[in-house]
Amino acid sequence: MNQLFKELEEATLEQHIHGELPQWLADPVLEVARNPHQYAESEYHVEMLLAQVREYDVYAEAGCCKWAYDHEDIKRTLRWLHEAQQGPQKG
Amino acid sequence: MPIYLDCNATTPVEPAVAKLAARFLEQDFGNPASPIHDYGLFARAAVEHARAQIARVVAARPDEVIFTSGATEANNIAILGLAQAALNAGKRHVITTAIEHKAVLEPFEALGRLGFEVEILPAGADGRFAPQQLAAALRPDTALVSTIQVNNETGVVQPLAEVAQVLAQHPAWWHVDAAQGFGKELEQLRQPRIDLLSISGHKIYAPKGVGALIARKRNATLPPLQPLMFGGGQEQGLRPGTLPVPLIVGLGEAAKLALREQEQRRERCRAFRAQALAALARLDVIQNGAEAHCLPHVVNVSVPGISSDQAIHALKDVIAISSTSACTSHTRTPSHVLAAMGLSSELAESSLRLSWCHLTPAVDWERVIDILQQLRQA
Repeated sequence: MNQLFKELEEATLEQHIHGELPQWLADPVLEVARNPHQYAESEYHVEMLLAQVREYDVYAEAGCCKWAYDHEDIKRTLRWLHEAQQGPQKG
Repeated sequence: MPIYLDCNATTPVEPAVAKLAARFLEQDFGNPASPIHDYGLFARAAVEHARAQIARVVAARPDEVIFTSGATEANNIAILGLAQAALNAGKRHVITTAIEHKAVLEPFEALGRLGFEVEILPAGADGRFAPQQLAAALRPDTALVSTIQVNNETGVVQPLAEVAQVLAQHPAWWHVDAAQGFGKELEQLRQPRIDLLSISGHKIYAPKGVGALIARKRNATLPPLQPLMFGGGQEQGLRPGTLPVPLIVGLGEAAKLALREQEQRRERCRAFRAQALAALARLDVIQNGAEAHCLPHVVNVSVPGISSDQAIHALKDVIAISSTSACTSHTRTPSHVLAAMGLSSELAESSLRLSWCHLTPAVDWERVIDILQQLRQA
């Protein structure tokens, strides 16, 4: 489990420092990555978040086919993750 | 209940997979084709997540994964879906092997009825086809080559690396039926020369009813597949129909676990195998397929003097086993795979397939051997 959160932190820093993940989006993802105990029950969402951060592309919606993830996807997954902390809703 | 030793027919569902699939049955039941509210959006995100999990196992891109109802449908789309493009290109020669599953052999028969010249490569006593024979069979008008990765009856891994070399300079499409090896024998399927891969959920601890065709792009273009069904644009138009999200999510989770836990699973299967082979050796069984090429979770043996039916019936309270492929075991026809390997009908009719997994509990081998010895003496 902790490995998952470690990977999320590494991927987020990588995409923020060397990619195009903006600070305003990296910060809430890092908050998740650095609090594994708080989000331990939401492993599925965290895995989804990790995949989206790894495949983040600021122009994901620009082409004819959407195969990467943009800021809207990550924002939405963060929202589902936080909702899951509060009860059985989307995730 | 007897111990289940028929994991090549179907595996139990991994508990973590079942839990996740249940959640998408009961709670997150949205339709991914309706991303106009959170239910649909979450379903779509889950499907795309599963697609990426599966792609990762075979070093493919997520957009190369096309969900199907299983490997049989994937095989049919791969083989029959290329027919029109082959005909358009004036290519009517197709090649497969004698040790394929019926889900490949029968679509090839259908190609034959469409006017294709079907060439079937033989297999050796070791349970493998020979890449040299493929090289000799290739022609300029060969449109498609379809080879199994791991035989379902013997567990023998086929020489795909050598096939990749043979096909390196030939433009034929290469399809691999990976139903038994996906998530178990990982490296072979990452070979970029493979154009099309069929996989199945219920062979890797996911539910039945889901699989995928992985269609690798050449020069950024998918193979020229035509759909076999019509009525919706799902899966890039190749497989229309509402996506079964709980099954797809289960397949994705199973793929993730297959990657993460491969070594531990193999180790458990190897340990089980050592016990099984040691016990069976006391019966002077004949192993069908070369041990050196077998995956660790399956063994096919002939027990001279005892028919398969007798053995399966006598052992039914101790272990649940089969004699052949699950898809043909109800027909009581002799195994075409063992026949292709040159087994006599007598040995083929005394064959047993035992297949297990990391979830299989210990077997009382003493009891198994006692029962078979008594049967032989009777």
